[in-house]
Amino acid sequence: MNQWYLSHEILIQGTFISLLLALSIQVPLRAGVFSFAGIGSYAIGAYTAAILTIREQVAPVVAIGAGVLIAAAAGYLLALLVARLSGLYLGMATIAFSLFLGVLATNGGDLTGGATGLFGALSTLTTAHVITITVLVLVALAASERGSFGRRVDAVREDPQLAVSMGIDVNRVRRRVFVISGALGACAGGMNTLLRTTVSPETVGFHLVVTALTMIIVGGALSWAGAAIGAVIFTWLPSVLQFVGEWQLLVYGIVVAIAAVYVPNGLLGLLQEGWRRLRRRGRRLPAGGASVAAAPVAEDPEEKLAALGGPTAEARS
Amino acid sequence: MTTSQDTAPTSPATGTTVLQTIDVAVHYGGIKAVDGIDLVLESGRILGILGPNGSGKSTLLGAVTRLVPLTRGRVLLDGEDYGRTPPARLAHRGIARTFQTVRLLPDLTVRENIQLGSDLKLPRAARWRELVRRAVPEPVTEAIERTGVGDVLDLFPGELSYGTARRVEIARALASRPRVLMLDEPTAGMNQPERLEVAGLLRRLRDEGLTQLLVEHDVQMMVDTCDRLLAMNQGRHVAEGAPADVVRDPTVQEAYLGKRWNRAADR
Repeated sequence: MNQWYLSHEILIQGTFISLLLALSIQVPLRAGVFSFAGIGSYAIGAYTAAILTIREQVAPVVAIGAGVLIAAAAGYLLALLVARLSGLYLGMATIAFSLFLGVLATNGGDLTGGATGLFGALSTLTTAHVITITVLVLVALAASERGSFGRRVDAVREDPQLAVSMGIDVNRVRRRVFVISGALGACAGGMNTLLRTTVSPETVGFHLVVTALTMIIVGGALSWAGAAIGAVIFTWLPSVLQFVGEWQLLVYGIVVAIAAVYVPNGLLGLLQEGWRRLRRRGRRLPAGGASVAAAPVAEDPEEKLAALGGPTAEARS
Repeated sequence: MTTSQDTAPTSPATGTTVLQTIDVAVHYGGIKAVDGIDLVLESGRILGILGPNGSGKSTLLGAVTRLVPLTRGRVLLDGEDYGRTPPARLAHRGIARTFQTVRLLPDLTVRENIQLGSDLKLPRAARWRELVRRAVPEPVTEAIERTGVGDVLDLFPGELSYGTARRVEIARALASRPRVLMLDEPTAGMNQPERLEVAGLLRRLRDEGLTQLLVEHDVQMMVDTCDRLLAMNQGRHVAEGAPADVVRDPTVQEAYLGKRWNRAADR
């Protein structure tokens, strides 16, 4: 076990960092906000951590924390800027934000090390720290998916106008989501830099958008658990797929295409649907059809018609 | 505004003006969806808005709930202009509404959908407690009981018949314990027994002091349920008054009803 851990430590670290990065896209998506600003925040976190560690030799918690704060603030400002955008346009605007930061990194002179980046960001950050932080984040996000918090975010995503009529300030939720996304992305970027001791424009580039989106699409976009499934699969798949050599990318593409077409809610959605069915069956069996009898009699013809594939009342009226 | 909305609606003074619109208009380019409507909603009464398809009833409801921006005119709640209040604040001030189409959240169970209605009044401590232990607040239980959807609480909206889904929507609106309830065609797509049931429910709520604004197609139901009717056609005010008088009004009949609705008034 210990031997296995040592030879896979890089992958284990990569899994948790990818997970945080994927979450920086998944959290906005859960509120119906199609934003890639988390990738730009990853760059902010990565460079802030590197610069502070190399120049000021600060502790990792300060180096990462500073990046998180800067990215959160940037997220808030970005949210104000793109307040009127939604859907694809919002996605494009936030990709532009991320690309813009890449350009800044390349042209940052001595501060960012230009195209070659920064080296020698040595710190005391360990895998245990990374895992602890990620678990804390997951606990917080899991809580935000439950109870009234979860219901209200669901409402903002599914039907913003309804959410407003339920007294939810949709714009405020959107602003918060940008801030959280920024913090998560920066946290992932900062930790990655300190573990690898180096950062360059290449490592914070557009490919991260693809990676994060792939994880969410295949894993499932509506819960942290989906992002976790995706992060595990796509961090470990390359080492599993070594035998196909240069065909790896093709296999990737096929996996994503199949997921997007046949399992739009991701692997997590598949699991949840299975669980729902099991529960439903469990509810019907012991009572011997009691749940059917409990339905108001007046509805029966409607239900029968619907069951036979007939038009719904909505379509007929 | 006091915090008296936290208790069940009572009727301190039936007949005082709760909500008022003055010369409200909503234009989309050249289309005058609503054009100069004055209405007065009195506490503990049901005001019905009658009119053919496309006459601007739903747009008027949108304007009153601030989901549709006003082109002109003023909207008053308790005599205070709320034309600049963010729409999300209105729910906190005791206005709840339903929509013309079913708008339940597909991934939440019926119970959770109804709870969404009461969430805005949930104290902070209760929100955190709910993360650990599932609790259903009393207004939710009450709304479930009143609308008779207790048998379908664990189902998802996609599994409901249309009539039941509409009742769940009414339950969700009631779960916020509103002072003013606005219903946009609550019985559309329901069968006759269900319609009567909903009409009865609305009357009972009125008798307990809940002020309502009702947009509906079913003229018989409007006559039986409302205290007052406002008839609209092409965004404009056509007639107003006691239900029986309004449906007998020649202009209204010409615009919408047809002569046979004399009978509805006579019943």
